Amino acid sequence: MDAPLDRELILRARRGDHEAYGELVMRHQTSVFNVCYRILQERSEAEDMAQETFIRAHSRLESFDLERAFGPWIRRVAANVCLNQLESHRITVELDDEHDADENQRPEATYEARERNEQIRRALASLPLNYRAVIELRHYQEMSYDEIALELKIPLSDVKSNLFRARKLLAEKLK
Amino acid sequence: MNHLSDELLNEYLDNALSNRASVEEHLAQCMDCAARLTALQTLFAEIESLPEVTLSRDLAAPVMLKIKGASLSPRWLTLTIVLQTALALIAIIITAPLVKQFAASSVSVLQPPSLTEVFIRLQSQWVLWLDMLSQLRMPVMPEIPIIEVSSLYFLLTLAGVSMVWLVGNGLLLRNQIKQ
Repeated sequence: MDAPLDRELILRARRGDHEAYGELVMRHQTSVFNVCYRILQERSEAEDMAQETFIRAHSRLESFDLERAFGPWIRRVAANVCLNQLESHRITVELDDEHDADENQRPEATYEARERNEQIRRALASLPLNYRAVIELRHYQEMSYDEIALELKIPLSDVKSNLFRARKLLAEKLK
Repeated sequence: MNHLSDELLNEYLDNALSNRASVEEHLAQCMDCAARLTALQTLFAEIESLPEVTLSRDLAAPVMLKIKGASLSPRWLTLTIVLQTALALIAIIITAPLVKQFAASSVSVLQPPSLTEVFIRLQSQWVLWLDMLSQLRMPVMPEIPIIEVSSLYFLLTLAGVSMVWLVGNGLLLRNQIKQ
């Protein structure tokens, strides 16, 4: 039997079927966690925020447009939750040793590829919060400049300049 | 020949330019700008190809637990409120004739009764109730006088209503304290 579509699960979850929502969580938890991890750069906190994302999303399920895909929507909710979290706590993120010892990446990746990925993660983590936010929303959430401006409540010119500077910094760090 | 700015190349790759044709025309002729664009494209690809990190724990179970917990208490509270309202209505319906009767007898008295009179009246009422209760027979249905059944029903219902009312208020209060 085919697995139910996200849409069917959402409809069931709206009717109070918790198991259906649990299925949705299982489907999207990794991608949601990765959004949180890229923004927060701390595994335990990213997992907590991913959990919080699903709880908040559940309360907004009634207003979710069923014509849209659930994946991109929940990832945007996650980005929003994490950016608010960072904004409220003003966390200064520093990469810890966990990144070097992260054994959860694809096992088939070569040592060089893993090293390069680690380098990219470190470079991303070293960016100031406003730069990291625009990189996340543009490159991972595939939002337009206008959408980013709306999401972060900043002028369009700031979106452009922040993206440009963030990429310049990344390019320098990844040389 | 003027080179394209880095900002322009960024916007070109972000599909944020309305006039892409002029940029493409320049790129076709300028090796330097084309090389800068390629470098930028490589950076984009590297950022976007970052592999996903796996979770160390499953989130479905704790999320479901939280959601169940969140949805349980309001349902309980709603039920409590509905039950309280229903019982209050029942109590009003049952006691209304008695209250009416009591009010009618009180109105005829112009002067308010003294404390002694009230005490005597309550005592006689209490004795009357006790007398009624003592005369209460075990439920052999055809023999039960209607008035005795009503009294018992009345007392039990009032006790039930009071109990549920108190428990319901306790639940509502506990929920408020939690919030």
